[in-house]
Amino acid sequence: MRLGRLIEATNAFLFLLPFLLFLAVFVGYGVVRTVYFSLTDYNLFDPPKWVGFQNYVRLFREPDFIRALQHSLAFTLVVTVVQTLFSLLLATVLNQRIRGITFFRTVYYLPSVLSSAAITLIFLWLYQKTGFLNFAVSWVLTYLPLLLTFVGLFVVVQAVQVVFERSRGLPAKPFDLALATASLLLAAAGTFALDLFGVVNPREGVQFKFIWLNTRQEWAGLPIPLWAIVLQNIYTTIPTLMLIYLAGLQDIPKSLYEAASLDGADDWQQFTRITVPMLRPVTFLVITLGLIGTLQVFDQVALISGPGGAPLESTVTLAYYVYNNVFPSGATPKVGLASAAAITLSVLTLVVVLLQRRFGVSERGY
Amino acid sequence: MKKVVVLLFALAGMVLAQTTVRLSGFGGDNVPVVNGLLNEIVNPKLAKDGIKAVYEPVEGDYTKAILNALSAGTAPDLFYVDIFWAESAFASGRVEPLDSYFTKQELSAFLPNLMQAFTYKGKVYGIPKDFNTLALQYNKDLFDEAKVAYPNQADTWESFEAKIKAVQEKLGDVAGFCVVPDFARFGAFAYGTGWRPFDSQGKTVLDANFKRAFEWYTGLAKRGAAKPAQDLGEGWTGGCLGGEKAATALEGAWIGGFLRDKAPNMRFGTTFVPLDPQSKKRGNFTFTVSWSLYTGSKNKSAAVKVLKAITSPEAQQWVLERGLALPSRSALANNPIFQRSGKDAELNRTVFLGSTALGGAVLPYKFAAYGGDWLTIINEALSAVITGQKNVDQALADAQARFDKLTGK
Repeated sequence: MRLGRLIEATNAFLFLLPFLLFLAVFVGYGVVRTVYFSLTDYNLFDPPKWVGFQNYVRLFREPDFIRALQHSLAFTLVVTVVQTLFSLLLATVLNQRIRGITFFRTVYYLPSVLSSAAITLIFLWLYQKTGFLNFAVSWVLTYLPLLLTFVGLFVVVQAVQVVFERSRGLPAKPFDLALATASLLLAAAGTFALDLFGVVNPREGVQFKFIWLNTRQEWAGLPIPLWAIVLQNIYTTIPTLMLIYLAGLQDIPKSLYEAASLDGADDWQQFTRITVPMLRPVTFLVITLGLIGTLQVFDQVALISGPGGAPLESTVTLAYYVYNNVFPSGATPKVGLASAAAITLSVLTLVVVLLQRRFGVSERGY
Repeated sequence: MKKVVVLLFALAGMVLAQTTVRLSGFGGDNVPVVNGLLNEIVNPKLAKDGIKAVYEPVEGDYTKAILNALSAGTAPDLFYVDIFWAESAFASGRVEPLDSYFTKQELSAFLPNLMQAFTYKGKVYGIPKDFNTLALQYNKDLFDEAKVAYPNQADTWESFEAKIKAVQEKLGDVAGFCVVPDFARFGAFAYGTGWRPFDSQGKTVLDANFKRAFEWYTGLAKRGAAKPAQDLGEGWTGGCLGGEKAATALEGAWIGGFLRDKAPNMRFGTTFVPLDPQSKKRGNFTFTVSWSLYTGSKNKSAAVKVLKAITSPEAQQWVLERGLALPSRSALANNPIFQRSGKDAELNRTVFLGSTALGGAVLPYKFAAYGGDWLTIINEALSAVITGQKNVDQALADAQARFDKLTGK
């Protein structure tokens, strides 16, 4: 019996060995070296000089590091909150039984399939002063009078129809689909007619020229280029998290919803009282993955801060700070300082995840 | 069978007798150029010595790749060193001083400005392979259309500004010049005033001369003579000129290839950087790359032979004839290729002469061992004023405070 267990343990170890070797060589050795370098003054060429904790002390006196730290924390907070909410929303929508839902699931997943570099290049173009984003906003602003007229007409027509139906004693909901379709067509025709007779006209000469990247302006305490990266990062990570939620949604027993509807719970109550609590372990996973991913954001920052892009001090995050100190442009590498920053980043990641688990959403369900 | 064995042995013998010298540099366009040089000039010349040079280009970020290789001891025998990060590379102790391999006469055949750029603590660490400086390119058709005289080499900042302002006013949708928040362009004007990036104690002081250049350059757009490149949707002045969004550009010979693709029919002329009206001088940068030798190289003597062959007059003539780069040897200044007429010859000639006394105060594009950290401070000051986020005094005060921290007070 004992021998059997021993053989079993040996077998397990043998199967784990390749991965453990990989872990030891590429992660274990790397971590040990980084910890060592973080306690030395090292420039890649001269032998490392032992300086103790000086690098850590110096780090917290560097304005660039403090800025990177603030950026990373703010970035993590905003992106994690927004992407978790949106991925839950999208997953719920895509969990409906509608014809052709697989098509939409595929399309919505696309941003995560594309490489981060390719997406960043597309966004760089999108964010130009004469780029698509500004163009689209200009278009909306130009046609704002028509759009508002259209929405106004729709609301009025829909209200008239609902009131009329109810006056005949029919149970019409405010958002009745059949009535809404008719209202939509009538509102479109009405707007077109008003435009044709010159009652409502598109505005002229509206040019929205917002600088997204090459600026130091701030909004809500964060530089605008960083907001640009926030938008982009949310866009690229939502689909993966949405997929995890989708898997979680499929696991919730249908009987719960059936019981709830028998008890008279409406859709919103079912969502908040059944879906959200039942998804708690999944939410924990999503938030944790989100925190780790956003604290270590690097590639999108590196690409968007390139030549002609955003100024570095407006976008620098901790991971980029580390990289930029090992390979500063045209200057001597500061490997010791960078290693200290890297260690700080990993400790910070651990602390944030633990705090989240302790005080935020934990993996225990309902 | 026997024959095959003999042949194999003969081949093996050849391989053994042959010394392979590894060269490394940028990828992309550089690969066919260097391979052409090696196959047509260097390798035929060195075949009798049993030396074979092989080019191992680095695609992607060359600087990081070579710094890593130097640190890890896997660097090639010969490699490019860009002037921008030359000082930190030379200070690493992994680049071999070349003084003992070259005679004084051999070294003096290269343009003194360039040799100066690759001299560190009195020793020569690299042989310049080619170089570039800045020159002013202008679109002749736009100046003709606006009925304004072309810029010329007697222009000062003021007369140049008057000309481009007239163009911008008359043509409306075309800017006189497009301003970029980049020291690599603005610095040429700052050097003209007599200002230097570091004083005798190695500190950066933004003095009255610097301020004069800074005020003039950042105010061009406000005074209606130029527009910020960003507003024109461009990242560099060459893009503005090529897209006919601006009438002038301040670039090096690299703009030639770009304009051949982008605007092959544009009639453009080239002249020197405008003069500072006060000092009556102009300034310029040398952008250059050297071939340097790795201290850990196992075949230094063979590598030096390759180095001499690849920077030889024949090799530079080969490159020059194909219009690929400007030669770093002074003797080639009188090459008939420069004297040809035509827009490209004028561009190359002006850029070449930009490194001589005609170019005025010409400094290598390097900033001690500070590199990008130093540049960022000025570039951010330029950007803040050009986009109207700070005024000149405030931007300069902030920049000076950061320089005091970086270079010492």
